[in-house]
Amino acid sequence: MERKPIIEFKDFSFKYKIQSKATLHDINLTIYEGEKVLILGPSGCGKSTLMSCINGLIPFSNEGEITGSCKVNGRETKNLSIFELSKEVGTVLQDSDAQFVGLSVGEDIAFSMENEMVPREKMIPEVEKLSGIVGMEEFISALPFDLSGGQKQKVALAGVISDKVNILMFDEPLAALDPKMGVATIELINEVSKDKTKTVIIIEHRLEDVLYRPVDRIILMGEGRIVADTTPFELLNSDLLKKSGVREPLYITAMKYAGCDISKNETICDIENLELSGEDKEKLLAFFHEETPEIKKEPGDEIVRLENVTFGYEHGKTVVNDLCVSIKKGERVAVVGKNGAGKSTMAKLITGIHRPAGGKIFINGKDYKKSTVKQIGEQVGYVMQMPNQMIVKDIIKDEVELALHLRDLSEEEVENRASEAMKACGLYSMRKWPVDSISYGQKKRVTVASIMALGPDTIILDEPTAGQDYRHYTDIIKFINRLNSEYGKTIIFITHDMHLAIENTDRAIVFADGKIIADESVYSVLSNDEIIDRANLKQTSLYRLAKKLDIPPEKFIEHFIRYERMVKAGE
Amino acid sequence: MNNRFLINYTPGSTPLHKLNGTTKVIGFIAITVAIIATFDFRIMLAIFLLCMAGVASMKPNWKPIAFMFGFLIVTNGIIGSLMVFLLTPESGLTKTGMETIFWQSAGGKLYLSWELLWYAWAMFFKRVASLSSAILFILSITPSELAAGLNSIKMPYKICTIVSLAFRTIPDIARDFTDIKNSMMMRGVELENVSLGKKLKQYIMMLVPLLMSSFAKVENISNSMDLRSYGKCKGRTWYSEHPATKNDKIARVFIALIFAWWIFYVVFFKHIHAPAVDFWCPWVPKEISGYWF
Repeated sequence: MERKPIIEFKDFSFKYKIQSKATLHDINLTIYEGEKVLILGPSGCGKSTLMSCINGLIPFSNEGEITGSCKVNGRETKNLSIFELSKEVGTVLQDSDAQFVGLSVGEDIAFSMENEMVPREKMIPEVEKLSGIVGMEEFISALPFDLSGGQKQKVALAGVISDKVNILMFDEPLAALDPKMGVATIELINEVSKDKTKTVIIIEHRLEDVLYRPVDRIILMGEGRIVADTTPFELLNSDLLKKSGVREPLYITAMKYAGCDISKNETICDIENLELSGEDKEKLLAFFHEETPEIKKEPGDEIVRLENVTFGYEHGKTVVNDLCVSIKKGERVAVVGKNGAGKSTMAKLITGIHRPAGGKIFINGKDYKKSTVKQIGEQVGYVMQMPNQMIVKDIIKDEVELALHLRDLSEEEVENRASEAMKACGLYSMRKWPVDSISYGQKKRVTVASIMALGPDTIILDEPTAGQDYRHYTDIIKFINRLNSEYGKTIIFITHDMHLAIENTDRAIVFADGKIIADESVYSVLSNDEIIDRANLKQTSLYRLAKKLDIPPEKFIEHFIRYERMVKAGE
Repeated sequence: MNNRFLINYTPGSTPLHKLNGTTKVIGFIAITVAIIATFDFRIMLAIFLLCMAGVASMKPNWKPIAFMFGFLIVTNGIIGSLMVFLLTPESGLTKTGMETIFWQSAGGKLYLSWELLWYAWAMFFKRVASLSSAILFILSITPSELAAGLNSIKMPYKICTIVSLAFRTIPDIARDFTDIKNSMMMRGVELENVSLGKKLKQYIMMLVPLLMSSFAKVENISNSMDLRSYGKCKGRTWYSEHPATKNDKIARVFIALIFAWWIFYVVFFKHIHAPAVDFWCPWVPKEISGYWF
């Protein structure tokens, strides 16, 4: 059967007006009708720019120089308006909150119809139909403030998926979702792609999560060029992923560690239906029984302690209930669980922003009841998710010194402590630089340094790696781990990212509905179906691999982590 | 989220809530012009009672409403009246046409007349009536209906959507600000027990990250709107604007009556039979005030 090309790039290059170098170079790419394509690559590789060229945001909202040709449905995009294109291309943007412009679900779904001047009596049944497609029919009058990230994304999809749209693009659909919602989103995208008149393009850097459901083709991008245009099978068999700064699925890594030859295994792309040959099984079992150094840290003194802590914003309604936690010096702890389950409330309680309605909190063995937020801030530091939410000064040094000046220290003391913090964060050589001129990862370091300057023993990091590709992620994590190993800081991560939790923490505190439902090693948490379900987590592919081998998942995950730490230590 | 800022985001279920945006907007305009047109206490009282009956019919959360009236009483009722007494004690005479002095200071510079008290009271009550009409309006309308209603009276739709977008983002910005404030407090910024100047300086400092994080969102919002044909046509239809119901029609007749009365009042009392003074006062005879009823 002759396939109908729906998107064609020919020798296409693009340069933003404000930039000196081109963002996209020599793109030659054809996507056919009904295909499901993953565009993969680290941040800054040009994948979002490529998307903007398809949906018309380039050149409509972002001016620049285009060379070569880009055709959608046989028509050159340069000659089409964004409005004409939006009838054929539907885009679900990354920030599911910002793209929700209506004041209710129904209104947001109707937004494009309102702009097309569709009469209201036609709009109402259409909104009902569209909300049904994405499973939001119960929520038509719900407000954006009451919806989860996953639900907002469904609404965004319903808003662009009218009958005529035959190309659907998802820009980093997993970025803001907890693991379970991420699975549901991939499932939903898969449902949509079953309609063979619809072409689906997913832009992501989390390969393992996207591969939960099959894709036809993967376009791997790097530095504005297409590095590979191939099937998932070919890609997993190559070493391109490692080179491009994209994380390989964990089960593939495990199989490679075990020495399995995955190039002969046709089922390798799909962990659900993965078939292991007798030889592979033997190799994996041998890998499992290999000796690995035990990860054992002597826990230090207790540094934070919560005793039956209860808190609620409104009288009589508690948000967190009966929290009992003990964190010791030098530990790395992950706080996980679905949004609104109480993770950030716990962080606010520890830092003294909220005070317990019942129970007690001890910091360094002392009840903190009489300490001010400022005093607690010298013992427990809190780093917000987005660096821009914290930075108030123009120059790095001023930013780091801010908290010290507020404490009336001598100039010399301020200078010393700030310098030390900047050295620890690798910023000392750029201390005079303006904050605007540095990258996201460096800004993150600035925010950590501004907290470090106060000399807290414990640092709470809220989603430190959210929205970061594997390379930046690795940088940030390495840096944080160094604070732990070299400076003995206790680290508390608040996160959705189970990879981060598995690889970098010793212990997970799991929240569900305002209660702590588990407080144990990460591998035990990830092997417990009930906890996974209640806390909106998901099993890792290692868990599934272990099940296929009939070995206890908990042990297998633990072994894998130890092995990986050993490998990384050797690098 | 509802009632925190008194703003409703979801349409309520009482008859007033169920009117459509156009009716609510023209209703508010009608009452506002009626209030502007006159200082007559009797009309203010009627408007006030009417508005409060409307407010009560919506079964609101009275706490913030009571707070607003309390605020008005302190600023306008007490401080405002005091100013009138101190600065222009003769207003009793000039505004009502009579002066019955019942207290005088030693030098005679300050004095109180019953008419002055009446004048202060009527001025204050005019503000009370405006506030009650504003509360009625805010309580009854959702931001989307407001946008649609403004558009229906020929306001350009781009301005109308800005209104509804603003309401969409207020809670988000408020939340961001709380987060930023919390993080600054942890770094040692003190907002309690410090001088007003210092406090102000610190709040201004916090605006930097707030603006940065808000600007980052603006691009996303505008992209998402562009991708959904915003600005394509000359006009726009509104999902939230239901067609006029029987109640809307009844309400519009009523609103038309207010307008008609207003025209009559302006024409008659400002041009044909203008009274001598602005303020009707119950005990000033009509020969002096010129009010023939």
